[in-house]
Amino acid sequence: MSSESSLFGHRWLPLLLVAPLMLLIVLFFYVPVFQAFYWSFFLEQPFGGGSEFVGLQNFRRVLTDPEFWAATGRTVVFMLTASSLAVIVPLMLAIAADRKIGLSYAARNILVWPKGIAGASIGVVFAFIFNPFVGLMAPLNTLFPGLWNPGIDGTDAFVTLVAAHVWSGIPFNFVILLAGLRSIPPTMYQAAAMDGAGPWRRIFDVQLPLIMPQLFLTFVLEFTESITSVFALIDTITGGGPGGSTSLLVYKIYVDGFRGFDLSGASTQTAILMVFVLLLAACQFVFLGRRLNYER
Amino acid sequence: MVENARSINIAAGILLAIGILYIVGPLYLTLSTASQSYEYMLQNGLAWVPGTELFANMGKVINDTRIPIQMLNSMIVAFSNALATCALSFLSAYAIVYFRIRWAGVVFALILATIMLPLDIRVITTYQVASNIFSPLNAVLDVTGLNDLIAGAFGAPVHLELSVLNTHFGLIAPLVAHGTGTFLFRQFFMTLPKDLFKAARMDGAGPIRFLFDILLPLARPSVASLFVLTFLSGWTQYLWPLVGASTPDMQTAVVGLARLVPDADGQVPDFPMIMAGAVLVSLVPLTMIALLQRFLVQGLVLSEK
Repeated sequence: MSSESSLFGHRWLPLLLVAPLMLLIVLFFYVPVFQAFYWSFFLEQPFGGGSEFVGLQNFRRVLTDPEFWAATGRTVVFMLTASSLAVIVPLMLAIAADRKIGLSYAARNILVWPKGIAGASIGVVFAFIFNPFVGLMAPLNTLFPGLWNPGIDGTDAFVTLVAAHVWSGIPFNFVILLAGLRSIPPTMYQAAAMDGAGPWRRIFDVQLPLIMPQLFLTFVLEFTESITSVFALIDTITGGGPGGSTSLLVYKIYVDGFRGFDLSGASTQTAILMVFVLLLAACQFVFLGRRLNYER
Repeated sequence: MVENARSINIAAGILLAIGILYIVGPLYLTLSTASQSYEYMLQNGLAWVPGTELFANMGKVINDTRIPIQMLNSMIVAFSNALATCALSFLSAYAIVYFRIRWAGVVFALILATIMLPLDIRVITTYQVASNIFSPLNAVLDVTGLNDLIAGAFGAPVHLELSVLNTHFGLIAPLVAHGTGTFLFRQFFMTLPKDLFKAARMDGAGPIRFLFDILLPLARPSVASLFVLTFLSGWTQYLWPLVGASTPDMQTAVVGLARLVPDADGQVPDFPMIMAGAVLVSLVPLTMIALLQRFLVQGLVLSEK
């Protein structure tokens, strides 16, 4: 039989099948993405008050605003610290859970639980647990006054955000990395053991090199994830404070757009953030992806 | 293989114990504080031992707040999101894989690109589109000059307006506009043997028959995985329901929970009541994870490949 017959030949049916999803994607993905870039060249009045072409003026305004650069800096710091931890912690847990020991069955079950708990819910919980007056650190605070107060100290607030982010990020990264470890053929371990590599040595010589694809993927996804999903945590734990020290870009865009009604400024920052996210993904593919060998 | 792996097994055990503690600790403290009274919390801070007030605190949440109706909203949003994502992604992946169409690659790329920029990044302009879903159509009519023709012929240009803000549809639709499901089903269809299709054709099955009688039964585990995954994602959304719903009765439970914490500093908030709210709001997704964990794990792994 020819390859022709291995596919249906209808003309209108496939169009009909993809139409509903494509319609939603065009309406709620491509139009908003386009509009963010379009608006960044216009001065938009809130509540449909008309718009005026201003060229690059919005970009000039945003790029000379020290608040924007501060928020960008904090976003990069958060991205590097929180997402590294959110990959390294599940990685260590996955390597541990891959061994046949008593706790690994329980761990495989329990470590998935955070997937069901919203970022905002765990934010509310962490805000309470790290509350300086009634939370975990309250007894220490009475001994050493001023030791821990996320309401005043920006670093404390930042640490709380990172802890909550790593907590919510464990399930996905753990499952992906564990699946990678489990797909390593046992003969690899046996061969390494014959060559005299003990279990510790095999972590670095067999396991890590062979799960590079999964590790790479979790990093790529985690970078974007840490930039965007942090919104729920900021809004429930710190509210951007104290003194703006946890106001990351995604939060600043929300505040500028929905509280300050600065649609042009918010759109311009959205456009910049989108370009940043896309460049980040592209860089990772070019610099990291090239050195990976996906063949087993 | 017999070898001495004692040191690494002990280290792994300790590591896993710490990991489990890290996950379970906050959950335990939530539950134990939710079961204490406000006065107890004021005196002792967070509760290390469970008390007897759990149901009283939950009763406060159910009677004094909008959480019950908001949980209904969450249920509607999460369920519809899961159902619509499964159905629409299945159909579009089916069209892309099983039909001889030249634009299949382009459409798949367009769908897949949605994974790169999450909804939280494009929330400002998505909100604008949702406030009038005909605005792109109006803009197209204006730009192409069609509206001038219409205005010339009928006296007025076309300007349609329909806001989906503060509706269930508006809360759900932007979540469905996502490519993970199509990607997942496409991968699954590619793993099926080509002979399956040929055999079905020989037996005279048309596209609809092939879809319902052969593909759908085979894809049941994949559908279940995607369903669990998108249900949880719909339930745990925060930024979009926060801006997409303006009245408390339309908000989802997670947003309602965050609103239980008073904004102003000063008096210590009623943390036991808030923690009871957190328990209530997390009950449905956690039950789902407990019952359908197999599908969740499978879904996470599939969505990666």
